[in-house]
This record gives sequence, structure tokens and C-alpha cells, in this order.
Amino acid sequence: MLPALLPAIVLAAATSGSPAAVEVNVTDLAGIRAAVAAPGATAVLVTIWATWCDACRDEMPALLRFFHAHQPKGLRLILVSADDEDQRDQVALFLRAAGAQGAQAFIKQGDNETFVNAFDPSWTGAIPASFLYDSAGVKQRAWSGAVTPKELEAALRKVKKPTKGKP
Amino acid sequence: MIVPTNIVLSVALSALATGAPAPGPAAATKMKSALDGKSVSIADVQGKAGTLVVFTCNHCPFARGWERRIADLANTYSKKGIGVILINANDPARYPEDDYPGMQARAKQLGLLVPYVVDETSGVAKAFGASVTPEAFLFDRNGKLAYHGMIDDNHKDAAAAKSHYLKDALDAVLEGHPAPVAETKGIGCGIKFR
Repeated sequence: MLPALLPAIVLAAATSGSPAAVEVNVTDLAGIRAAVAAPGATAVLVTIWATWCDACRDEMPALLRFFHAHQPKGLRLILVSADDEDQRDQVALFLRAAGAQGAQAFIKQGDNETFVNAFDPSWTGAIPASFLYDSAGVKQRAWSGAVTPKELEAALRKVKKPTKGKP
Repeated sequence: MIVPTNIVLSVALSALATGAPAPGPAAATKMKSALDGKSVSIADVQGKAGTLVVFTCNHCPFARGWERRIADLANTYSKKGIGVILINANDPARYPEDDYPGMQARAKQLGLLVPYVVDETSGVAKAFGASVTPEAFLFDRNGKLAYHGMIDDNHKDAAAAKSHYLKDALDAVLEGHPAPVAETKGIGCGIKFR
């Protein structure tokens, strides 16, 4: 189920320079949790989205600008797509065109109901949805619907910095 | 491991709890129906056996996937004493497909026999704590929320659905029994509130 806009975006990207490829892996919840909890980040932002979701596609440019501005300070961005598992190429094409280099990209594995219930009890299943974690993988903030860079900035400032000597 | 903590903040609205009644002001809100242009409220359609409110829309792939089943359940159970109303709370400025003419066309195409109405301020959806499309709220004959959530467990393929949550809940409510499953969650398009 590709949005009509997608081929145009991909074409534009293909003809105007070559944004870096983004590797997309089909991963279960445990894999996504492991990526969130992996050491080395000062904060981790997880956004759940899909190529078929208008609001998600609209949110992506500002989200990526925010990420790239904070990536040097240790922010990790994990993009979890709710697209079908066989849509890997389309998801990768979209993310490449959107300039999502540096982000970790997954397609969630398994059925939606199980994933929504297990990922976060506070999440209604509406996408886009974003979750901000501190360096220890502890959730600090969640947003249902598109989140603005201003909201992200404010939330990120409140995230506790990792203790020195510990990842 | 992700550990939920007490500092979790969420902007997600909390939906009505099982057993709760429909919020009064929202249930009384008159909304224009795409079937005939008449204004109708949830209270107006209330059925003797129960009342089904479904927040849905035209544009969302999940709503599209389930729309035939929503229409069939709505048309079937409205004849059995369940009052049914379908509500579109999306902002058509954001999703042009969700405008009134679009709703009229969809209602006709689906052969809807129940109102498909415009929640002009999204106030009804907010009062219910609805957040995705489609999202069903089924009240029993006493007006208590008996089921809240998805239509079934497969939006793409009706034949492949294994758990028919809403249909099973409707059958239970008709018999005056609790729904076998009272609440479900699935991925859906976030409602673009006005």
C-alpha cells in the first residue's frame, strides 16, 4: 500500500544527489527493546510510523532534522515501521529519500495487536507515536500523534544525563 | 530492557473504561449525517439492546480495510435492536478525503443504513478518549461500555481474521452477557483532531 507521493519523493532523491542508504531490518519486540537499551546513547527516541500514514510521512523531515542536530550529542533515533514485513524495500527507499541516515530502522515483526499491547501499555496504537528514553532505557516521555521539534527539545533537556563512568 | 517508571508522561487521552456510560454531553451532541444531512446524536440512535459507536474515517488504510465489515455489522445489528452510529472526527483540512462529500460518497458506496456523521469539533471523539480509526465503543442495554477496541484481528483480510472481537461482543450484548473480550488495541491511524 504505497502512498501516491512516494514514487515522486524517491525519484526526486534519485535524481538530486544520493542520500545514504538506510538499512531496514525486520525485528521482533525483543530486538527493538535491545536496540533501545544498547549502551552508548545519551537519550533514545523511538518513533513508530508507516509509509501509508500521512501524518507520519509529514512528521519525518522535522523529526530527522531534530535527530541530526542532536545526534552528535549522543541522541539515538530508532524508527519502527508498522508496514508489512515484505515492504522492506519500500520502507528503505522512503527513509533513504527522507535522509534518515544514522537512524536505526526496523519493521516490527508479528501482529499489530500483540505488538501494541507489549510495546507500551500507555500507547493506544495510534501512529505516529514517539517515545523518549534516557541512557538507561527508562522511558521519560511519550507522544501520541506527531511531535514538534519544540516539544522534543524541551523533553530532551529534562532527560537525565548519564552518570560519568557508566555508559 | 525498557522499564516503565513513575515519571512517564503521556499526552494520549485515556479512553472510556469498561462499564462506564457514554459521556452525557458528547452523547447529546447533534452531528450531521452524510446519509441524509439530518443532525443526529448518539442518544438519538440508542438501541434497546445496546448502542455501537464507531469512530472511523474515509482516508485511513486501516479504516478502509475494515469498512466493508463495519458497514455489514452496522447494517445487520441495527436491525437486531443495537443502535449504531459511525462518527468521523478527522479534520478534513488535513485529510481532504474525510470531507462531507467524501463521507456522502462512502456512505452510498457501502450501502450504509446507519448514520455516518461529522464530529465537527472532534469533541465527541475527545470525550470518548478515541484516538485511532477505526475504534469501536459498544454499550450494553444498560448503557455501560461492554467492548472497546478493534473490529477484529485482521484489517486486510476478513477471511483470515481469527478473533471477531466486535461481532462476538455484539452477540453477547444482544443476549445480555458481558463481551468475551472487553478491550483490544491495535495499530491505527491517529485521529487528526480539530
